Amino acid sequence: MNFSFTSPWFLLGLLGLALPILIHLLTRRQQTRLKFSAVYLLQQAKKRSVRKSRPNKLLLLLLRCLAIGFLCLALANPILSSGDLENILTSRPSAHVFILDDSYSMSATSDQGTLFDRATQTLTELIEKLPNNHSFSLVLASNPSRMAQNWTSDKGSALKWLKAVQPSHRTTSIGKAVTVAVDLLSTASQENKRIFLLTDMDQNGWDRDEFPSALAEDSRIQVKVIDFSKSQKGLNRALVQRVKLNQEFLTNRRVIRVQATITNLLSDRAIKQLPITLFVNGKRQSESMIDLPAKGEATHEFSFPLLNNDPVTGYVEIQEDALPADNRRLFTYQPNRKIKALVVDGDPRGVAHQHDSFYVEKALNPFSSPMADIEPTVSTLSEFSERDLKQYSVIILCNVRDMAIGLEQELEKFVLRGGALFIGLGDQVDPKYYNEKLGLLLPVTLKSINQIRAKDKPFHLKAQPSNHPALKVFSGNMLKEMARIPFRTLYSVEPRRDRTFEIPMHFTNQYPAVIESNFGEGKVILFVSSLDRDWNNFPIHPTFLPWIQRWVKYSAQGLENISRHDITVSTPLVLEEMEQSPLVVAPGGKISIARKKPQSSPVFNDTHRPGVYELYQWSGASTTDSESAPVEAPKQLPADAKRLGSFTVNFDPAESAPGKVPEKELAQYFPGAQVDYSPADQALNAASVGAGVPLTTLLFLLLAIMMFWEGWIIRKE
Amino acid sequence: MAENTQFNYGPETLSEISSLSIRAIQLVEGLLSGHHRSPHKGSSVEFAEYKDYSPGDDIRHIDWKVVGKTDKYHVKQFEQSTNLKCTILLDASGSMSYRSPDSKSPGMDKSDYARTLVAAMGYLLLKQFDAVGLTLFNDVTVSHLPPRSKPSHFQNILHELQDMEFKGVTRVEEVVGDLIERLPGRGMLILVSDLLTPEEDVFKTLKMLKSRGLEVILFHVLHPDEVTLPFEGDLVFESLEDDPSLGLDPFDVRQQYQQAIQDQIEFYTKNCPTLGIDYLFLETTTPLEQALRYYLLRRKSLRKI
Repeated sequence: MNFSFTSPWFLLGLLGLALPILIHLLTRRQQTRLKFSAVYLLQQAKKRSVRKSRPNKLLLLLLRCLAIGFLCLALANPILSSGDLENILTSRPSAHVFILDDSYSMSATSDQGTLFDRATQTLTELIEKLPNNHSFSLVLASNPSRMAQNWTSDKGSALKWLKAVQPSHRTTSIGKAVTVAVDLLSTASQENKRIFLLTDMDQNGWDRDEFPSALAEDSRIQVKVIDFSKSQKGLNRALVQRVKLNQEFLTNRRVIRVQATITNLLSDRAIKQLPITLFVNGKRQSESMIDLPAKGEATHEFSFPLLNNDPVTGYVEIQEDALPADNRRLFTYQPNRKIKALVVDGDPRGVAHQHDSFYVEKALNPFSSPMADIEPTVSTLSEFSERDLKQYSVIILCNVRDMAIGLEQELEKFVLRGGALFIGLGDQVDPKYYNEKLGLLLPVTLKSINQIRAKDKPFHLKAQPSNHPALKVFSGNMLKEMARIPFRTLYSVEPRRDRTFEIPMHFTNQYPAVIESNFGEGKVILFVSSLDRDWNNFPIHPTFLPWIQRWVKYSAQGLENISRHDITVSTPLVLEEMEQSPLVVAPGGKISIARKKPQSSPVFNDTHRPGVYELYQWSGASTTDSESAPVEAPKQLPADAKRLGSFTVNFDPAESAPGKVPEKELAQYFPGAQVDYSPADQALNAASVGAGVPLTTLLFLLLAIMMFWEGWIIRKE
Repeated sequence: MAENTQFNYGPETLSEISSLSIRAIQLVEGLLSGHHRSPHKGSSVEFAEYKDYSPGDDIRHIDWKVVGKTDKYHVKQFEQSTNLKCTILLDASGSMSYRSPDSKSPGMDKSDYARTLVAAMGYLLLKQFDAVGLTLFNDVTVSHLPPRSKPSHFQNILHELQDMEFKGVTRVEEVVGDLIERLPGRGMLILVSDLLTPEEDVFKTLKMLKSRGLEVILFHVLHPDEVTLPFEGDLVFESLEDDPSLGLDPFDVRQQYQQAIQDQIEFYTKNCPTLGIDYLFLETTTPLEQALRYYLLRRKSLRKI
């Protein structure tokens, strides 16, 4: 229960209480002292007397004081409220920072629109009720937190802004928003400082390290948390966690495979038969159902044929729940016509056919045709370190002894992101280097070279039908031919501990011939013999050509897969591969420039909307980069603009997590500060009943009673 | 002599008083002859009458001449003219020092009134060659002048009255209990007091004095303020004796107070005559000569001889 006053200046009138007290005291001072003889008789008479003149004077004093007090209180228009909200709004001049959580979790549905609608409605009522001598500012809590309105007492503009404001697509950062609020309050001169936090208490964004420690230093700051999470209608059941696209090269049908991972956010029950739909280029492509275990995830793979090489955009969508924003995840893909393979020759010779890479290059593109599916590029070891690995889907190491320092890490990154690494061994190979430096990539260690003397029987591949995607086409005569190929030298290998790998091909003596392993998104394939004729005759056999091509096609993914950018909302996009500042066309057509600073890659920051963003090369890029003055982005896409690619910006799934900050833990986030918590319903109710119960009438009534009583006593005397 | 005193009685008062002949109604035993008749008959200077002899009479007083002439035994009786021994008991407690806060209050202060009264009585008695003593008391006997009949004794009385200070608490019972042995067996006792004491047995004390054969005269002196409680406003009454101060509006208690005083006066007025005590209530506005004259006339009318 709180008292508050709408016209507190009238309380100064309480000083008038001093008047009757002063008169009383002055009268007391004039009290005559009389020496008298028969005091004992007076004492006896007093005991018998029923008249009480002196107590009446005290009573009169009390009544007069009460009358003045009631008058002043009545004029000050007191309001009795059950909560402290009105007290806050009607007390002394104060500075309020309203932090509005505009993260996308606030777009969850409630009985009246979204949670965000309710929050803005509450905030509108709060601002409308603010006395004119209060000033306020507005801070948005979505990441990055920012001030939306500096200190003002102008309610009109703030209310206009509130009408127009929409929930963002970003995550929450309450801590940073509070930091902004504390900074704002540090500039406020008012004695009373308050932070109103209107939020759904989503656990994501309540990072204790982000909360300011300054809050504890200023004890005048009070924090009022209004929780809207209880207003949510229904549950946020599931979300599309991620979507992965893969272009199928191994078959000639040109297929795109879409893997969608759906997460069940309900911890207590599984979801059966959740409808999931694939949209491609704006059209419903495919529909299915998916079963999700409790608090777990499941993956569903769609596939659709590529009709042309135009960019593919689309999204995977699941059935709607309380939070629609996370039910859809966008993707974009630029289909590749061919696989770009980089063949690294570890032992270049003067004669072409003696190159270790000679047979591989010929096998990948036998007629050196630009129409071929695979486009091999041969590189020496010294050139290798200068290559941009992102330009290739597959890297084939042919008898490479070792690599420049740091290059193995580049290779690891390449494979992690989806690249394929094919390693052929040879006499140049330094097993120590492979075992020590390529430990992450190779699941086995190279143990020793097994060489067969000329008169001894060579090793042979164990040719048998296989279900392995790369090998299943080999059958019949091809297998027989393959089985006849003599291998005179090969490395024996030893598996590393706790590593998983496959051995798709063996030698007849059960030695592994091909070892396949996955690392990150990519694959590593080790062939324990050489890819030239030094250790075997395999390259000159007809089966070598389909064999190497199928391994490359099998392991390769579309280049877009490797270099594709799928970022979350508000994450800056660093375009490492670009030399110049490209134009970015955001969803909705807004054109901006991903600006490049000297000695760094272009960065695009305006990724606050989910959607598919297009990148364009344009002629103004060089001017933009060279001139110190920033060049305005063109209103329309220039005619000479060349499409470079696209990237998607999706919601951050972290914000969808159902965890809420418990009320009892609030104090830990605001150490030292006075924290009040109220659910939105109560805050709204308190705000909607007005400023509590006015007591003016009651006080005037009491005043009348006091005056009547005083008059009665005087008359009686 | 009165002119040299500090008292507020004028020569008119004293001369007027001296012109009155005070005679005690009852005879008192005394050594000196005066105007008082002794109730005790016996051998004395002045023959009174004869009476028949009865056994037990002193045979010395038989008039043998008469026996010779008439052969009857007559005893000569003499009228003894004795001096009155009078002790004046003046209440010297604090309550007697009451002065009206109103400077225009009529009459004299209570203390002056009482002193004048005592001086007048003393002078009057001395003028009749009676012995007068003065005892001042509050809760104890402050001073005691034994009765003397010398005219110069008046100076002692005046001196005593002049030096006295009204203070302390009235304790009539205790004082009289102490004093009673020192008082002459028979004589007069004049008590001048305001009788403002919470003691309840004052009347018993008077009764005891009377039983000792003393002629008791009680002058009850009060200031009109003490009778009517005429004060107004918020007052703190500070006791002139030892009562705690009391703050009140006199208006609240006036009726009860007046009633209490009137009850007291009525009590003495009604009960004193039953014991043969002369009680006179005097307000300080009452002219002293008027009061004394009234008293003496009243005594005269009651004279048995």
